Amino acid sequence: MAMRQTPLTCSGHTRPVVDLAFSGITPYGYFLISACKDGKPMLRQGDTGDWIGTFLGHKGAVWGATLNKDATKAATAAADFTAKVWDAVSGDELMTLAHKHIVKSVDFTQDSNYLLTAGQDKLLRIYDMNKPEAEPKEISGHTSGIKKALWCSDDKQILSADDKTVRLWDHATMTEVKSLSFNMSVSSMDYIPEGEILVITYGRSIAFHSAVSLEPIKSFETPATINSASLHPEKEFLVAGGEDFKLYKYDYNSGEELESYKGHFGPIHCVRFSPDGELYASGSEDGTLRLWQTVVGKTYGLWKCVLPEEDSGELAKPKINFPETTEEELEEIASENSDSIYSSTPEVKA
Amino acid sequence: MQTPLSSPVPVLRLPRGPQGLSRGFAPDGRRAPLKPEVPEAPEAPAVHECQESQEQRARAVLRERYLRSLLAMVGRQVSFTLHEGVHVTAHFGATDVDVANFYVLQLQTPIGVQAEALLRCSDIIAYTFKL
Repeated sequence: MAMRQTPLTCSGHTRPVVDLAFSGITPYGYFLISACKDGKPMLRQGDTGDWIGTFLGHKGAVWGATLNKDATKAATAAADFTAKVWDAVSGDELMTLAHKHIVKSVDFTQDSNYLLTAGQDKLLRIYDMNKPEAEPKEISGHTSGIKKALWCSDDKQILSADDKTVRLWDHATMTEVKSLSFNMSVSSMDYIPEGEILVITYGRSIAFHSAVSLEPIKSFETPATINSASLHPEKEFLVAGGEDFKLYKYDYNSGEELESYKGHFGPIHCVRFSPDGELYASGSEDGTLRLWQTVVGKTYGLWKCVLPEEDSGELAKPKINFPETTEEELEEIASENSDSIYSSTPEVKA
Repeated sequence: MQTPLSSPVPVLRLPRGPQGLSRGFAPDGRRAPLKPEVPEAPEAPAVHECQESQEQRARAVLRERYLRSLLAMVGRQVSFTLHEGVHVTAHFGATDVDVANFYVLQLQTPIGVQAEALLRCSDIIAYTFKL
């Protein structure tokens, strides 16, 4: 029997969620940080959406948030003209970095030694995390406020997007290498290190470019104005969301629209795949974050697959050999509930 | 292939949300050092665990007793001692999930009887009632 997607709603924010980011996979699982106009970014367990803590300190809307790879540090960009660095384990504020205008974007290098910030002051700044008192290195060149800035090519280059251009900079020489121009406002930019792919959304288009050369690879048109898109780590699917409140899932290779999901009560501002590709998270104007399964019906996180009682003849046998990881996963999930509703361990039919 | 009777994927529970006014990052929720593969001394951790579970059991018993006392109070006349030496009586109705407010009926105050009222628990010093 076909299963319908059950999104998991994470509540807690009181204003629109404008940005979200996942950490890498750590020994404690992976984590999710959400930026919200209420000024209180939140940290959640990535696979369940469970709230872990709220970073308190900003005095204005938080426009950008990120975690470092091992989720030990968080960084946030806010309308109070500061970017802040936080200890993601204790929730304590580590650094406040003053800027001259609204800060929109923050990104750590792979080794967490440098933080890239960008915002309405049209400057890219690189802060050395080991020398918080030192002045940041600044790169100028943008002619309008920067919406997003990301490290790429092994932190040797920087990608930045303002309203109408996407630019590639060399980190060592701090100079512009290449740029792309658009005649429509660029709504978002994302980067996949494996394969050096850049995902850009503008109007109703989702465009994929090489992050190294900025050459176009392909692009898709969607039914609505898209605000954010994310490519699956294995590059099989992409998900996108925008002004029509729906989440769209496309086959990356064929461009075919596979699914669309309703659920949010407002425009979707950000969409990201988890580092293992098993789920994707969306943040909306409605103040919620929702988690969606990549493979609907699979047992993962809080989603638990159940086989129907009456079957075509393949009954769910109580003793089945499962690969070790699946069993461990199921045990972990079952231990959260004292009385398990499901007696047999099910197998997912593709 | 989608049948018209597709059922939603079941979930174990909903994601947990923020806890009240706390900022979170609870010490016991923090990333504890990962469990070592071989236990250091088989006896020491067992004793420690025993003490912990005893305490937890005691807490659970006390909590249950308190909740039952609240249930027993429903509909009865309760005398509340508030700040500044104020005493009021009322019929107890209900409490909220955090035991932050008591919903009471026929609250007898020095300035009259209030048909329904909410008493802030933080204003209450003590209360008594007869079983």
